[in-house]
Amino acid sequence: MQGSSDQQAYDRGTTIFSPDGRLYQVEYAREAVGQGAPVVGVRGEDSVVLAAHAPERSPLAADGDTEKVSAVDDHVAVAGAGHAADTRQLVDLARRRAQRERVRYGERAPVDELATVVADHLQEYTQTGGARPYGTALLVAGHDDDPGLVEIDPSGATRSWRADAVGRGASDAVETFEAGYGPALGADDALALAVDGLSAAVDEVTVGAIDATLVTADGTQRVGEDRLRAAGAGAS
Amino acid sequence: MTPTQQTDASTAGSDRHGRRPLHERDPDLVDDTGDAGNAAETGTTVVGVTTEDAAVLAADQRASVGGGRFVTNKDTRKVEQIHPTAAAALSGTVGHLQQFVRVLRSESRLYADRRGDPPSLTALSTLAGSILRSSPLAVSPLLGGVDDEQGPAVFTLDGGGGVLVDDYAAGGSGMQLAYGVLEQDYEPGLSPVDARRIAARAVESASERDTASGNGVTVATVTREGVDTAEYDAAGEVA
Repeated sequence: MQGSSDQQAYDRGTTIFSPDGRLYQVEYAREAVGQGAPVVGVRGEDSVVLAAHAPERSPLAADGDTEKVSAVDDHVAVAGAGHAADTRQLVDLARRRAQRERVRYGERAPVDELATVVADHLQEYTQTGGARPYGTALLVAGHDDDPGLVEIDPSGATRSWRADAVGRGASDAVETFEAGYGPALGADDALALAVDGLSAAVDEVTVGAIDATLVTADGTQRVGEDRLRAAGAGAS
Repeated sequence: MTPTQQTDASTAGSDRHGRRPLHERDPDLVDDTGDAGNAAETGTTVVGVTTEDAAVLAADQRASVGGGRFVTNKDTRKVEQIHPTAAAALSGTVGHLQQFVRVLRSESRLYADRRGDPPSLTALSTLAGSILRSSPLAVSPLLGGVDDEQGPAVFTLDGGGGVLVDDYAAGGSGMQLAYGVLEQDYEPGLSPVDARRIAARAVESASERDTASGNGVTVATVTREGVDTAEYDAAGEVA
């Protein structure tokens, strides 16, 4: 590893600040996110789209229909960029909390509440001795009274966005969103913008490699290949 | 409860036991330490009847205290959907059966989110049995549903966690009266309408003599398409 022996001492443990106030392990976790397959989210007027792009690494891969965007209860979907196994744990945490909310209160968990619960969990791992932070950033898309899109980063910080991207090429996707986002996007417009964002983030977008989910007042709905093609995704 | 178990309920990282059902991770959800001495009970007559393509569940609508001595509610919902193609008809302590429904519904949804498909009837009835076995919930439900493995089926569950599958069944304080009608009128291959009428008649017949049952009938028809619930003042109205 590069750097002075001083710096090495500060990146040994998550719980140790460097003298200039940084948590190196958390920053390294963000690096892991930046290397992950990209995930984008776009909030429309009545809907929010989550789309992920992860092509198969080999034609021998047998689980051709790998879940990249995960449904969490009727009204929320989650996708993560970074370590897939870390994401999987967080998705299950969100699912359990969503159902526990229904048992406890008889209501659906608000999207912001679910995001905060997951973020609190991530935060614990920036402060717990002997543990490492999660190497994943999540986009949480949901619909309470209105559509919502929240990003959770490895530090446990949350932020709401109209359109957002995490993972490889995220800054290119965000530039596309900044140029193309307008008020009152319909579901198909939001989907098209999400596909544009993915196209900017990766060299070649194929329909088969995109997993997209649309969240509306009616619930979560996986987007089929025909609709993805209509939204401008290239043929596979 | 150990400190480990307390964090276990709220965090993923400390889940050393894998993807367990909610009620196993968090026993408080089904644990009851309160005194049920003056709690409202449904008393109740519940009935389940299968046809070729559907499972029909029916129940009366009365809640009472003192074993039917006093009616506390005349519009109690005792048939609840708990799964895309399954419902429960419930008898027992009102608070217990409401909690049972909330937990089972959530377990079913969590299973579907985790695995992509909702639980089979085998999985659902086993889960329901283990919830009852591991908790002091005073609930004796009937489950009725349809799946690809066994088609339509009715299950009787008891407080000890027993799960028995049948073509038709009755439960609750009016059970004997309802079984009288079922043993007379049930036959394999009933039409859905006939099954609904027989189930409602069984509930109505029990309501005539069992003071803990009455005030109308709820009838739910479960098919592969879902659960369709209707309420009637009398069995004669059932269509």
